[in-house]
Formats: sequence, structure tokens, C-alpha cells
Amino acid sequence: MIFSSELIKGTLKTIVLKLLADNNKMYGYEITQKVKELTADRIQLSEGALYPTLHALEEDGLVTTEIEYIGKRVRKYYRLSSDGKTKSDERISELADFMDTMKLLLNIQPKTA
Amino acid sequence: MYCITDEQIEYILNDIRRNGVEMEDLQYNLLDHICCILEQELKETDDFERLYHQTVTRFYKHNLREIEEETINLLTFKNYYGMKKVLITSGCISVAAFVAGSLFKYMYWPGAGILVTLGIGSFSLLFLPLLFIIKAREVKTTSDKAVIAVASVVGILFSLAILFIVMHWPGANVMLFSAIGIAAFILLPAYFFTGIRRPETKLNTIIMSIILVGVIGLQFSIVRLRPSGSQLRIRMDTYAQNEALLKRMQSGFVFGKMASEINATSNDLKALVLQRSIGYTSVPENYADLNIHLNEGNLGTEFDNQGAGVQLLHRLRQSVVAYNASVADHDLHIPLDKTVLQTDDAQAGKMYTNVSFLNSIVQLQMYVAIAETSRTK
Repeated sequence: MIFSSELIKGTLKTIVLKLLADNNKMYGYEITQKVKELTADRIQLSEGALYPTLHALEEDGLVTTEIEYIGKRVRKYYRLSSDGKTKSDERISELADFMDTMKLLLNIQPKTA
Repeated sequence: MYCITDEQIEYILNDIRRNGVEMEDLQYNLLDHICCILEQELKETDDFERLYHQTVTRFYKHNLREIEEETINLLTFKNYYGMKKVLITSGCISVAAFVAGSLFKYMYWPGAGILVTLGIGSFSLLFLPLLFIIKAREVKTTSDKAVIAVASVVGILFSLAILFIVMHWPGANVMLFSAIGIAAFILLPAYFFTGIRRPETKLNTIIMSIILVGVIGLQFSIVRLRPSGSQLRIRMDTYAQNEALLKRMQSGFVFGKMASEINATSNDLKALVLQRSIGYTSVPENYADLNIHLNEGNLGTEFDNQGAGVQLLHRLRQSVVAYNASVADHDLHIPLDKTVLQTDDAQAGKMYTNVSFLNSIVQLQMYVAIAETSRTK
């Protein structure tokens, strides 16, 4: 099952921040591939959502960027800034709380193995 | 792995640009991303262009520019909810300050001017621009955005014009005329023709347009009733004639000590008001050539609390009361009622505009002149 883009929209920043926290520096395509790999293809980030988010994170000072030239191509790497590290922790714990609350709200029973 | 050639890179970059992505950062991000995908998926035998277009269509719903628009939206409107809060707060505070200011003005309480200025100022320079930014974001078409922009300009001009009128600042009429002109000749047609085309907004557009025409008409009639250039000149002429008449009445004899004192204080008071109104301490002989007009306005800060004007008014009232006490003939008494001196605390003077104030003082001097002439006969 692939999750709807609406579900992913609110958590995209958190996902990106967490990935950057775990992987030092990454470029856009790498992020989409990593998400696919970690979720066994169940979450596929759309380019239309990823790049605007990356730009917004850069504008907010949560990530820093570095440019690498590959022939005629330019690859932009994203790296967490110190603000970004704090924000990443905040957003992850906020999302965890949110998921707990949603479980309560929607009365979701833990899946029995 | 497929190796993408420089020509193909050029082709992709050109295609991205042609599809309306203008931010360089975003162009290179997309270019690298597409190249990565193609390198993974292309085989040596595949048709490059076909596969490229297949890949790039996965990026968007309608066109590639969406990504850039979304980026700009995220960058510009990250404070969207904060802006809405500021909008509502500034709106409430502006209106409250304006209403309170009007009440204060009506009651002659101190601080009215500050409240009105703050109220209308923040309404027109904070609330309305914010409203424009937020509303313009909610509509889709450029023509709707343009109508909202023009409406905002009219609103800002109009409320600033009201502020200038209330505060007797120069330029109010120009603003008011511009606001009414733009409303009548740009806003109204633009609004009408964008709204009438859509069946769902047709009725509302017609009704709102009728209301708008009515409001513009009412406003225009108010403006027409405001003094024109000739009225300004007549006001100046009337006061200058009063001064000339006084001069004739005063010539040819010497005033007593008390009368001279009243005259001196009166002249000081007039000088104070004239300095503020026309920039001279007395009316120049050739005021018409100098194009000096007597704009109706308030008396200024000298007449607040214990300012110089209030103290002069106090002294004038004392002198007049003393003068009346010294004159036996009641018919020659100088009237205090219905003049700027009508109350003991000199507060009544504040209710006068500069024009009425000057005329009231000059009339008082005429009474003194008549009384003195009769006494010395």
C-alpha cells in the first residue's frame, strides 16, 4: 500500500530533518531513494513536494547547502544546521506524541503479532 | 548504468526553463534529480526524449511550474497564520482606537488626536495592506487579484483622506478626490466586468456595484460641499476686511491703559494663531498676491492644557472683566458671552477653529475701540 500524499504532507519536514540527522549530507534524489528503501516502497516522496520543502528549510536556516559539480550538472547537498538538529528532535517527539494521541482518538488497537 | 551526455543535460535544462521554472536553485535540483532517475532507468537502446518526458510528468499534476509556485508559496507564506492573527488584532485595535478617538474628540477630552491618528493610521497602513495580501492569495485569477489591489488602494486613500480631514492636515482633498476617482473610473468597471461574467457571482456583482455607485455619489456630494478655492479666498478676505475695519476704528485717538492692554493681548493671541495658520504673525497687505489662504483648522498645541495660548486667553479674560468693571455705562461693556472668552477656565477657546477664533478676537477689539471712542468723546 502506498500512503496518500495528504498524510505525508504534514510530516514531510520531519522526515527530511530526521534523514539528514542520520545521514550527514544528502541530495534530493538520494532522499527520495532512502525513504523508498526504509519504507519498503510504501512512502514515495513526490518531487513536487520535496523540493519546495527543502527550499523552505534552507530559508528557515534549518539546513545548510553545498554544491558539487558533476560535469555540466550541479548537485546540491543538504546538511542539518545546529538549529536544524534541535528542530529535528523537537519535531520527532512532537510527531510521536501526535501519533499516540491519534491512536487514542481513533481507538487503534496495537496489532497483535 | 546509462551515461547522460552533455547535450542531453542541455536539453533537459532548457526544457525545465521553458516550462517556467525560473529559480536557478530549483532548476539545478530538478536537473540533477531527473538525471539520477534516467541514469537508473534508461537502457542504452531506449529513446531518451520519450523516457525523459515520461519521467518529468511524474513530478507534477498540471505543469512543472507548480513546483516553483509551491516553493514560492512556502517561502512567502510560512507566516500565513501569523498574518491572519495580526490582521484580526490590528483590525480590532484600529477600529476601537478610532471609535474611542472620535468619542474623545466629541467630549473634548485630551488624547483624541493621538487615538484617531493611531486608529486610522493602523487601519489604513497595517490592516488594509494585510487584508490585501491575504485576500489576493485566496483568489486564483490575475483579474481578481487586480480588483482586490485597486480596492485596497481606494480603501487606504479614502481612510487616510478622512484622517487628514479630521486632523486638518494639508492634502486631504487631493486624497479624497483620488480615492473617489479611482473608485469610480477603475475599481467599479473592473469589479463589474470581472464579476458579471460568472453566473454564480452575477447577482452579487450587480447589487454590490449599485451600492458602490451610491457610496461614490454620496461621497462626491460631500466633497462638493467642502470649501472650494473661491471659498478659501472669501474666508481670507472676510478676516482681512475685519482687520481693516478695526484699523479704521482704532485710528485717530489714543487708547487708555486698560484698553491698550486688551489690544496687546489680543494681538499676541492672533499672532499665535496666524503664525500656525498662514506662517505670518499678521495678515500681509498683499496676501492675495502671496497666495495666502486661511485653511480652517484647529488651534494647535499652544491651546492644550497650560500652553501659551491658554495663558494669553486667561489674561485677556481678566483684562476684559477689569475693563468692564471700570466702565459705568453698561451699553459699552465688552460682551464675554458667545465669544472665545465665554468660560472662566478659557476652555471654550479650544472649541473654536482658527478662523472663528481670529474673528471672535477681532470683534472683541472692535467693541473695545467703540467703547474707547465713546468714553473719550
